[in-house]
Amino acid sequence: MVEEFNVVLAGVGGQGILLASQILGIAALKEGLNVVVSEIHGMAQRGGAVVSHVRMGSKVYAPTVMDGKADAILGLEPLEALRNIKYASTETLILVSTETLVPAGVSVEPINYPRLETILDAIKGFTEKIVLVDALKLAREAGSVITRNVVMLGALAATKILPLKSEALKETIKELVRPAYLNQNLKAFDLGLNEISKLF
Amino acid sequence: MSKLGSILLEDSPGKRVLLLGNEAVARGVFEAGIGVVTTYPGTPASEIGDSVSLVAREAGIYMEYSVNEKVAVETAAGAAISGVRALSAMKHVGVNVAADALMTLAYVGVRAGYVIVTADDPNCYSSQNEQDNRYYALLSSLPMLEPSNSQEAKDMVVHGIEISEMLELPCLLRTTTRVSHTRNPVTLGKLQKARVKGEFERNPRRFVMVPANARIQHKILLEKVKKAKEISEKSIYNQILREGKEIGIITSGVSYNYVIEAVDALNLEAGILKLGMSHPLPEMKISDFLKKYQKIVVVEELEPYLELHVRAFAKDHAPETEIYGRMNTDLFPKFGEFSTRLVVEALAKITKKKVPVEFEEIDKKFAETSKLLLPRPPVLCPGCPHRASFYVIKRATGGKAVHPTDIGCYALGIQPPLKIGDVLICMGASAGTACGISKVIEEPVVAVVGDSTFFHAAIPALVNAVYNKHRIVLVVLDNLTTAMTGHQPHPGTGLTGLGVSGKRVLVEDIARGCGVEYVGVVDPFKVKEAIDVLKKALMHDGPAVVVFRSPCALLVTAEKRRKGEKIVSARVVAEKCTDCLACVKLLGCPALVVEDGRVVINDALCVGCMLCASVCPYDAIKLEVE
Repeated sequence: MVEEFNVVLAGVGGQGILLASQILGIAALKEGLNVVVSEIHGMAQRGGAVVSHVRMGSKVYAPTVMDGKADAILGLEPLEALRNIKYASTETLILVSTETLVPAGVSVEPINYPRLETILDAIKGFTEKIVLVDALKLAREAGSVITRNVVMLGALAATKILPLKSEALKETIKELVRPAYLNQNLKAFDLGLNEISKLF
Repeated sequence: MSKLGSILLEDSPGKRVLLLGNEAVARGVFEAGIGVVTTYPGTPASEIGDSVSLVAREAGIYMEYSVNEKVAVETAAGAAISGVRALSAMKHVGVNVAADALMTLAYVGVRAGYVIVTADDPNCYSSQNEQDNRYYALLSSLPMLEPSNSQEAKDMVVHGIEISEMLELPCLLRTTTRVSHTRNPVTLGKLQKARVKGEFERNPRRFVMVPANARIQHKILLEKVKKAKEISEKSIYNQILREGKEIGIITSGVSYNYVIEAVDALNLEAGILKLGMSHPLPEMKISDFLKKYQKIVVVEELEPYLELHVRAFAKDHAPETEIYGRMNTDLFPKFGEFSTRLVVEALAKITKKKVPVEFEEIDKKFAETSKLLLPRPPVLCPGCPHRASFYVIKRATGGKAVHPTDIGCYALGIQPPLKIGDVLICMGASAGTACGISKVIEEPVVAVVGDSTFFHAAIPALVNAVYNKHRIVLVVLDNLTTAMTGHQPHPGTGLTGLGVSGKRVLVEDIARGCGVEYVGVVDPFKVKEAIDVLKKALMHDGPAVVVFRSPCALLVTAEKRRKGEKIVSARVVAEKCTDCLACVKLLGCPALVVEDGRVVINDALCVGCMLCASVCPYDAIKLEVE
């Protein structure tokens, strides 16, 4: 029986963090696990930084992950992965979408968005277990850039650390995604899964 | 029906589903046989009303988005006084608006069950303050329940109705953001058919609070509090969940979740008393718990509400017990929200144990990375009509006016380059503060307020401005929805919570009705025309109202997607663009990106509002199709 499994999902408002968290949460419930999914709504969503916590297992109560206790961090944007890196230990697996998004509003002034390598080096100060995912490319291949979140879920499933079967995730996607967008989301999941399965 | 809609009305007791705390409250409405639901949207409470609104008509109950929280409470109280069970939902500061009704409704009481949900927001995720509404229970003498997860949120709606009917008093249900916006498994209970028709029984002594009656009803209320205390002593929600030797912990609400994990992380043998009914508190139950321990820790977010009571009970019943909390340690801050780490560190210090994770090392490493972390604050969306309005205001005033602002997306106007927003207090305060500022300074005062906020609380201040001849310009940013909280309808949309047409109430009609002599209505994307209308308003001798009307960009794009229409974005005509960056510097739109000194329009973000084209001095921005 799983006692505690923690995923932190980080990204930018509009990237589908909430949907990805909900898919993980409902799939966990399908697999008979206790689950806690914590989201932030409202003001935080208008293009700002978004983070959600998905926790599974019999000993899980708190809405948020304790610092140093994430099993995986799913970064839909590199800088946002780094912003939440204090949840990581040396054992934590970090999956990062390599697409960088420069914060809006700072574009009036000269932009100091760090180089991707610099961000990854900073993450390596916490854990060496980093998996890079070209989620944008795979999402385009699936039919729409908006499926980046589901590509990342497929990638997470490929790492085999989730206490969930891929089928449970796919079943949940079928329940939650509107029919018009379903095929591209299922394709996005498989593309993420197949691409990262090569590494595991 | 949507998936959530079918879960809310599914008659399968025992089934487990994953629900947001707010959705669980909504499910509770249908398990408690509630016939009238009223709300004014506000994060973190919004999804309660929205979820009920999804299915209210199908369930055969009445639901409304009331014009503000005071009206929401009065409307629901009217139903509950007339024998129909009711629920109102609002954010914590909404209770301030409703407080006048609430305080005397406690004297009057109800005949059918009535639950008032207050969703507090520790850490101000989406609020102007982080007040602790447990004090409203103390102040009003009303019973209060506090869930710590979605299951309890649902069950406590049902239980709250029971308590309300036992005492003939409204029952408060307090959540916090991390309960409202956390999904947990919920085991569904039985649905109860709601009674939707009642009867009004005349009883002026009870219902008409003239002083002679109020004096009597106050005494009756105090008797009810005694009965409520008995309920609290026996309540299954005031429960010792663990017995231990080392230490006793008293907690409630979301804090319980951090406590139980912290105790496990430290391998503490701790006793835990969880207080789900936090007003009135069970004095005997708490005192018995105090007697068992040498050391007691009180773990609660925000104010020392429990701690004050616990210390008072200890003085009478367990004077030898040492009590740790925020009043005598700095282990629990009085601001923000808690975390498992915070509770682990506090308990470790008190019990002299070693923390299980090297937090200090994490902090040290994290501090090194912080220089890389560019802030990413929320911003006005691409295509947002508020951006156009703010640009128009800056042009018309030459940047020399003072701008009281208000509660809504448009508060994001404070960011550069637009920087519209000089004072922000609470719903409707833009118009009120404008009155006073205009009286004592020479510069023009141009206040901004959203459409829903105008209806909610700005109208009395507008009447005040007319009556007292305050020379203000009130700009109503009418985007035809309550955008920030999730696009709820309001009087200006003419749609109701039941999803049917009501009567549409127009801002300009109200302004004229209030006696405002200059009222302009204009689309802010028609920049020149809008500047002209606002300049005339500034010249007007007396209060003026300008309505900038253009629908929320999120609604426009959603509608286009639904119809299968293509969203056409703008593009820069390279040969005309002189790299002056005027568009970027004037508007700060997220879709305008500078790459190597040149403006590029991000076509994934741009929705083709063409505001940038209208500020471009070189006519260098065109729609993609042209």
